[in-house]
Amino acid sequence: MLSDTPAKRRRPTRLAFRAKFTLAVRNVLRHRGRAFTTLGAVAFGVATLILSQGFVEDIFVQLGEAIIHSQTGHIQLAHEGYFVHGAHKPDGYLVADPEGDKARIATMPEVEDVMARLGFPGLLSNGRADLPILGEGIEPAKEEKLGSFVKISSGRRLKAEDHFHALLGDGVAKSLRLKTGDRAVLMVSTKDGATNTLDVEVVGTFQSFSKEYDNRAVKLPLTAAQELMNTKTANTLVVSLKQTADTRKVANTLTERNVWRDQEVKMWDQINDFYPKTVALYGKQFGGLRMVILLMVLLSVVNAVNTGVFERTAEFGTARALGNRRRNILEIILIENSLLGLLGVAAGVGIGVGLAKAISYVGIPMPPPPNSDLPYVALVRVSWNAVITASAIGFAATFLASIFPAVKMARMDIASALRKAI
Amino acid sequence: MSIVVLEHVSKEYRLGDHMVRALDDVTLSFESGVFLAIAGPSGSGKSTLLNVIGCIDMPSSGRVVIAGHDISGQTPDQLASLRARTIGFVFQTFNLFPVLTAEENVEYPLLQMEELDKQDRRERVKEMLELVQLGKFAKHRPSQLSGGQRQRVAIARALVTRPELVLADEPTANLDHKTGEGILALMRDINRRYKTTFIFSTHDKKVIDAADRLVGIEDGTVRILGVRKEGQWAITNVARRAASTTDTEAAALKR
Repeated sequence: MLSDTPAKRRRPTRLAFRAKFTLAVRNVLRHRGRAFTTLGAVAFGVATLILSQGFVEDIFVQLGEAIIHSQTGHIQLAHEGYFVHGAHKPDGYLVADPEGDKARIATMPEVEDVMARLGFPGLLSNGRADLPILGEGIEPAKEEKLGSFVKISSGRRLKAEDHFHALLGDGVAKSLRLKTGDRAVLMVSTKDGATNTLDVEVVGTFQSFSKEYDNRAVKLPLTAAQELMNTKTANTLVVSLKQTADTRKVANTLTERNVWRDQEVKMWDQINDFYPKTVALYGKQFGGLRMVILLMVLLSVVNAVNTGVFERTAEFGTARALGNRRRNILEIILIENSLLGLLGVAAGVGIGVGLAKAISYVGIPMPPPPNSDLPYVALVRVSWNAVITASAIGFAATFLASIFPAVKMARMDIASALRKAI
Repeated sequence: MSIVVLEHVSKEYRLGDHMVRALDDVTLSFESGVFLAIAGPSGSGKSTLLNVIGCIDMPSSGRVVIAGHDISGQTPDQLASLRARTIGFVFQTFNLFPVLTAEENVEYPLLQMEELDKQDRRERVKEMLELVQLGKFAKHRPSQLSGGQRQRVAIARALVTRPELVLADEPTANLDHKTGEGILALMRDINRRYKTTFIFSTHDKKVIDAADRLVGIEDGTVRILGVRKEGQWAITNVARRAASTTDTEAAALKR
């Protein structure tokens, strides 16, 4: 006899998790074509998100590095008030013991180098015309290491052995029609009100990422600037770090340590306040673009998931006829799509990171950014943050997209579902 | 005891703007162990009748009792359990799960029975595949099987839960004549050996000839009731008449 006893017939039936999981795995692994459609959509989406985010992030990072390595360094220390009022009256904000302070800061392990600068407003004359400039005494050897983003457009950089020599911003040289080898006269008024002049030889001209800066800047060796201003001190100590990521940490330590009384510590993005503004503006614009990408990703995932479920209407109708509960159908579909989501995310991260590496290896040539004359090579920067965000979006999209068809399949009319069988 | 009892069952559904009456006041009862054909042209309501008996479609009115369970007022889950334990399904289109092998397909309805462990399931599946002579094809996927073999797998899947009732919707319609006969002979053999009740819908004269009970249906109403005795059909024509007298016809189907 094939029949069971009536007592057994009354027992409820349901699928155990193990069974549902096994079914889902079989569906994913044994129907490659269908699995591939959803998997492909998810993987493509995750990879696209990683790449687009990485491209935008690289723009921000490179802009930051350009600022740091043009002029600013990572952190600057000065007397309190210098950053706001110092440009007009730099001699009111002097660092008392620049050499001692430099040595103290240089002991921090994150610090690459510390250099002193002495800023002063003045006039540069070519003998026929004068131009108001912002002069800056620098330590040539150290600045050369820091200033990797400064492009020498003609002549050469300042050297350690230079003394009565000046490196002019491109704009300054153009305005005064000065070229390498020409002589010019620097005029300043000293702390005690006297006028002082210095005869200098132009060794070259430079371009930084900022045109505005290049229109006003004149660099000369610190020793010459100190002589001109009749002082032994400096205005700012510029700290360059081994890693930009350490900036905040080091800045905090310096603030806590109080290297000298009434010090003020500024990070590079505080000194160049257009950086956060640019990031905010670009961030918004790229954000809009990313929303479009995200929308396309979501649509393709939703479409793939829906197709994958609805084309199996008859299959789920059969399962219901064979006694599967509504809930079991729902669970099978959700588990299956979670698996697809996970696999798709894994593939997408692989593809995205791989492509990012390949693209970075080749590099994307970019035109000069706003307020700059220097073109650069863009890379695709992969951050953990981007990978995690893209993965979360990819998985959530797949899972959420499967809820609607899963509910629909679970609640469908069995007879009409079975009519969908071919 | 009657395994299937229908009393004044009607089924209406909406098709576009108008209501279609697929079943119109059907009263029937079948004894356990019959090999019964529901015959009628397409659109006659035979599929709807089979679906109502199979608890995958609910009647608009009337009473349905399957294996002693009155299905009205049951929750979807209760009906699912009833189907899982009492009814086996065989479909015209076979409806095997394409990603599962023959043995996994046969095992499928057993997965929801918590009282069966892996060993029990394996034994039952093996037994059923032997019964339909597909022991050697256990690891084959449906796409690697012929139509007749697929329908045998489907029959094994329908029987593996040891149901009291097997419902087959046009089980031979997608098969060539010879294969269809083989499937019918297999079902007939199982019906004789294990007393499993078979109810199948068909519009094929040869399939009807294999049955021992016949319900002829047209326009949603029962028109013919047939009982075969010693190879000869005893046919009762049922004209449209008052509902109160249909019980007599229902009685005619009893052995």
